[in-house]
Amino acid sequence: MAEEVLAPLAGKVLSVAVTVGELIEEDAEVLVLEAMKMETVVYASCAGTVSGVVVKVGDQVEEDDVLVSIEN
Amino acid sequence: MKPYFERMVSFGKGLKPGRITRLASSADALRGVEGEIDEAGGRAAAAGLSTEQVNKRGSMTVYQRLQYLVDEGTWHPLHSLYNPLANKEGTTNVVDGLGKIEGRWAVVIGFDNKFMAGAWVPGQSENILRATDLASRLNIPLVWLVNCSGAKLPEQEKFYANRRGAGTPFFRHAELEQAGIPVLAGIYGTNPAGGGYQSISPTILLAHQDANMAVGGVGIVSGMAPKGGFDETMVEALIEQTRQFSARPPGGTDTHYEGTGFFTRVCEEETGVLDGLKEYMRAVPAYGAEFFRAAKPKPPAFPADDLYHLLPVNQREVYDFDEVLARLVDGSERLEFRPDYGPEVFTGICKIDGRLVGCIGNRQGYLGKGYPEYADYPGIGGKLYRQGLVKMNEFVTLCGRDRLPVVWFQDTSGIDVGEVAEKAELLGLGQSLVYTIQQTDVPMMLVVLRKGTAAAHYIMGGPTANRHNAFTLGTPATEIAVMHGETAAVATYTRRATKEHDAGRPLGPVIDKMNELVEGYRDTSRPLYCARQGFVDEVVKLNHLRRYLQAFAGAAYQNPTSICPLHHMLLPRVIKG
Repeated sequence: MAEEVLAPLAGKVLSVAVTVGELIEEDAEVLVLEAMKMETVVYASCAGTVSGVVVKVGDQVEEDDVLVSIEN
Repeated sequence: MKPYFERMVSFGKGLKPGRITRLASSADALRGVEGEIDEAGGRAAAAGLSTEQVNKRGSMTVYQRLQYLVDEGTWHPLHSLYNPLANKEGTTNVVDGLGKIEGRWAVVIGFDNKFMAGAWVPGQSENILRATDLASRLNIPLVWLVNCSGAKLPEQEKFYANRRGAGTPFFRHAELEQAGIPVLAGIYGTNPAGGGYQSISPTILLAHQDANMAVGGVGIVSGMAPKGGFDETMVEALIEQTRQFSARPPGGTDTHYEGTGFFTRVCEEETGVLDGLKEYMRAVPAYGAEFFRAAKPKPPAFPADDLYHLLPVNQREVYDFDEVLARLVDGSERLEFRPDYGPEVFTGICKIDGRLVGCIGNRQGYLGKGYPEYADYPGIGGKLYRQGLVKMNEFVTLCGRDRLPVVWFQDTSGIDVGEVAEKAELLGLGQSLVYTIQQTDVPMMLVVLRKGTAAAHYIMGGPTANRHNAFTLGTPATEIAVMHGETAAVATYTRRATKEHDAGRPLGPVIDKMNELVEGYRDTSRPLYCARQGFVDEVVKLNHLRRYLQAFAGAAYQNPTSICPLHHMLLPRVIKG
């Protein structure tokens, strides 16, 4: 079953820490969003295999946009 | 009031492995800064003669006296690195802090007799005034270890005179006495001139048998009648005069114990003086530990070392303030005031060693859709908006009413700006908070967790308000400046850059200036600089923060000038609804 990691706020993707196929733990760093001069780290909501990375560095995302999918 | 305070609402959660991994290098960086602070403190404490050299002369050092005097494990140093006028020794030549003597909190301060026999040096009077202010704010005794050779004469112009000069502490001692706060002094060594007034101005004077205090000493016997210069004959006469005079310095214990009776007691041993101070401390008014407790003390539910993985050293990285607070307060419990309003600040009641305190802190990160309600742009924690300002005003007012000491935690980038923010009254609400703090008259302390910026640094806890702020602590992540260096560079040089550009001249020199300014801001906003300048009263290791909160709450409740019975408190009822 795939779980989607959503953007907690609108912002620019500053870095992406995971790649498709990677096995990650719950609460592992997924990516960092920059908004209003601040950096918000987005953590994995569950353990599993990264099945999709929808964004890349520099992308502008809106709140609740899908960032990454994790198969658990 | 068991239902309210025995078990309040639990908060916080254990650290997750992902966060530990991500913040590992940040934790190392924080510990690295703590190491730098330790080293600088060690250098300042080593100023002057070695301990062995002082002991060989038959005296204890100020540090040995403090160790004997203060109850084990209760010393909380303040101003360890304070050196606002950049003395090359790295110190203002006094050592001070909060400590318990015979179970009672006191502000303790002593001249460092290792350096120039405890001389007055530039910046020292400001340090002393911080100690007298602290005793005044917490209503606890000021204990002096006097050993002061008087002014460092070649630099007297930097501290002798002025509204906050070397003479000001004597008036502060009188003010403390006027307010019923005793100033106890243990007196050692030779204390002429300024040292004489350091000795005579306290309430109780306990002297070592070799101590003396006098209006003037050996050093000024010849200076009374200036002759326009010196020649060899005059200097030889001075040498002879000094030899005779130094054999019997004025104001010894025979004069000021047997004669004038100024000394309350004279002790043969140095430790006898300290034992005397302990005896007097046992006699000062102090409520027992249980008197004002609302519940039994308990440690936080989470380890203090977690803080290294919760507070990112990267000033731009968002974190959860509530998790920081959960590592500092009893049982990781609280009663939150207006959780559904002003989301950028936490306000609530917590316990420190079972004693109630009001806590206020900046929350970080995105504040959710539709906030601030007056603007079409999103809000981010660290900034202050209308609701947060209103909430802090209300909370502080209620803390004043309920006589709750307040602990502030700052990590603020400022108050929201722009026309919309002006229309939302933020300028007025910020100053309202200053007025509110002034109205409360309860002890406050401040921890600048990371950023202290713009007017928000002034209004959140009033680090510049010596009648309210007992002391301000920094952490290894502290950064205090009017604004970020890059913002300042833009504000300062953009107009000039535009002119140069329009005139077809190269931008390199302006860019160099901008980067120079950014670098300057970096150097002058970091923990070491903040401690040296007195922006903070001490930089404290993250896992020692709770110790200082305990000292603050313990001292604030030791002998409060006014009290509110627990069952008369309004704030917990307002929170309950």
